[in-house]
This record gives sequence, structure tokens and C-alpha cells, in this order.
Amino acid sequence: MALRMWASSTANALKISCASKSLLSLSRCFATVLDGLKYAESHEWVKHEGSVATIGITDHAQDHLGEVVFVELPESGGSVSKGKGFGAVESVKATSDVNSPISGEIVEVNSKLSEAPGLINSSPYEEGWMIKVKPRSPSELESLMGSKEYTKFCEEEDASH
Amino acid sequence: MRGPRKLEVWKMGFVNYLDALKLQEKLVYNRKLCRIPDTLLSLQHPPTYTIGKRRTDHNLLIPSSELKNIGAELHYTQRGGDITFHGPRQAILYPIISLREIGLGARNYVEKLELTMIELSSLYGVKACAGQKGETGVWVGERKIGAIGVRISHGITSHGLAFNIDPDLKYFKHIVPCGITDKEVTSLSRETSTMLPSEEVMHEQLISCFARLFGYNTVVWKENPSILSDLEEIE
Repeated sequence: MALRMWASSTANALKISCASKSLLSLSRCFATVLDGLKYAESHEWVKHEGSVATIGITDHAQDHLGEVVFVELPESGGSVSKGKGFGAVESVKATSDVNSPISGEIVEVNSKLSEAPGLINSSPYEEGWMIKVKPRSPSELESLMGSKEYTKFCEEEDASH
Repeated sequence: MRGPRKLEVWKMGFVNYLDALKLQEKLVYNRKLCRIPDTLLSLQHPPTYTIGKRRTDHNLLIPSSELKNIGAELHYTQRGGDITFHGPRQAILYPIISLREIGLGARNYVEKLELTMIELSSLYGVKACAGQKGETGVWVGERKIGAIGVRISHGITSHGLAFNIDPDLKYFKHIVPCGITDKEVTSLSRETSTMLPSEEVMHEQLISCFARLFGYNTVVWKENPSILSDLEEIE
């Protein structure tokens, strides 16, 4: 898949972009939102590829959390339910629950996060993935937000204070 | 900008740690369902050590069997942060508020909690500041005067802050406070030459600082708050 670089140094930088490893090293004025992923209002993302869905937290979420120092994850083989917590991240003395956007069976857990919790900050959509799930009902994915909707959602939420 | 924001304050006096925890769980559940407004618990605990989600037991320096002898309890919690002590003459605030409604993330929320304690300190001429990176809390020089440990669930906060007005600092000798080995713990009474008013006044000042920093237009004091409240039970 061809990856494209987006110039984001201008003030009205586009907030939607294609997956790109190098994007995250550019200006942090706007949190990165990736096309092709689905998003929950609690700021988790889902990437559905074939029979497996990968789940993590968004760039917006990691930015608002601060430096992640600890990640609590479930065991592989367990199950997750849409909207329910499956783990937690700790940053700045705050433990924040992470909720699953979909229901299903956990097939893999990112064990790198116990040694390197900061991957969630530096690479929230790639190396900072949290769990991989076999989705129980594909229709749940449809009810999640796309990248444009999620971007707007974040703008509105940030404008409330 | 949102409409006027209301904060309901419960002044609870001394509350046992587990009772406060159960009450917070009920409040979080009800707040999540929007059945109650943003709520702030103002209280003190009897001598209690608490450990955060990471279960850093190694920072308790006496055997747990010894705790009864010094008149203290130990509890494990789901909050962030390391081990700490709560006791008489330490002012505690447990805000049960919706961060999503005010567009705050964990980092900004904790910064405002730090500012709340910094402001209160400044009322007494004490220059406190937020910790360096990784040392969340409030410091006077190298001495820690206020601690923070928070839980955020579906965007609703629980646990909160503990500010040392004049607690018995000897209790802190039995732990590595917040997991930081080479720093002291202090209190407002140690740091200021100003005479401190009654605890009731100080708690009210702390609450005012919180309400102002978090932009509440209306503060309502709950009449006769009780841990056996008539809140909806968790289903």
C-alpha cells in the first residue's frame, strides 16, 4: 500500500491523512486521525482486516493522557464487549479505562506494552496497538465513526472548555 | 461554550476509606448516566495507607501485620499513582466529574488539581509548584505538600487529591511516598508562618479554589450528606 506524506505545517493543515509512520514526527498542533479506521467516542480506534480487528487508542487520546507509564491488558483468549472496559492506561497518576469499540474474542495482546508503555504515545496507531480481536458481529463496526466524523467529534469535545 | 455549570459539594467530615470508595463507585455510576451533576466530596480519612493499581507493595516499609499497632489500615485501589498515606488534618477532595463535558483529558485534569493546591498554598504565602516530569503532585522546593491519584472511567473521575494541612508526618516514614525515595513530605503548617484558621475554613477555601479553577458557575452544598445515600444502586 502506497503511503503518502501530508504537509501539515500550515495552520489549516488537513486533519485527515493516510497511514504514515513519518507523519507523527511532524507538527503536533493537530492530532492525527487516520483514514480507513473506525473510531469510538471514547477515543479508541479499530482496524478491521479480514477476520481480525486491531484495537488501540487514538493520537487525540494519547495526547490528552500525557506520558503513559503503565498499561494493563487482558489475557488472550478472553472476550471483550462493545462499550465495556478491557484494560487501562496510567499516566500522570491517573488510571484511565480503555473500552472496546466492538465485541469479540481476544486473539492477541501486545506484550511489548508492558516493557514499553510509551509506544502508545509515540505510535498510537501502529506499534502502540493494544489487542487483536475476532469480531463477534461485524455490524458493530458500522455504528462506529469514520475519520471525518471522529475529527469533528474531537474538535467539538475540545471546544467545550 | 457550554451553559452554566453546577457543582454539588458534599462536606463529609471523617469517612472510613472503604466507605468513601463505595460511595464514589455509586456516584460514578450515577454521574455516567447523568442522574446527578458533577459532585465533589470533601473529607478526611482516619490513618490509612493506600496503594495504586500498579500494586507497588515494595514501597510499604513495615510489614502489613504491624499496621494495626500504629493505628492504620491498608487498602488496594484502582487509582493511578503509587503508595500514599491519608490521615487526620489532611484535606481530601474526590471530584466525581465528567471530563468529556468539559473537554478535559487526564493531563489537563491533573494539572488543574495541582493548581487547586498551589492556589490554596499561596493564600498562606507558600510558593508551591507542580512536580517535574513524572512527579505529579505539589511541591514546596524538594518537599511534597500535596498528592494526586485519579481514576477515570468512561470519562468520569474518582479519587482525587490530598493536601497536607497539618497531618502527623511520622506516618510517611513507613512508606516510600509515591515511590520517590529521596524527597521529603511536608505540610502547610510547616511551610507557613501565617496562623492557620479552622480546618472547616481551610476545606472551604480548597473547595473554592477547585470550583473557580474548574469554571463552575454554581456551587450547591448538599444537606446532610450521608455515605448511606439514596443513590441508585449499581446494576
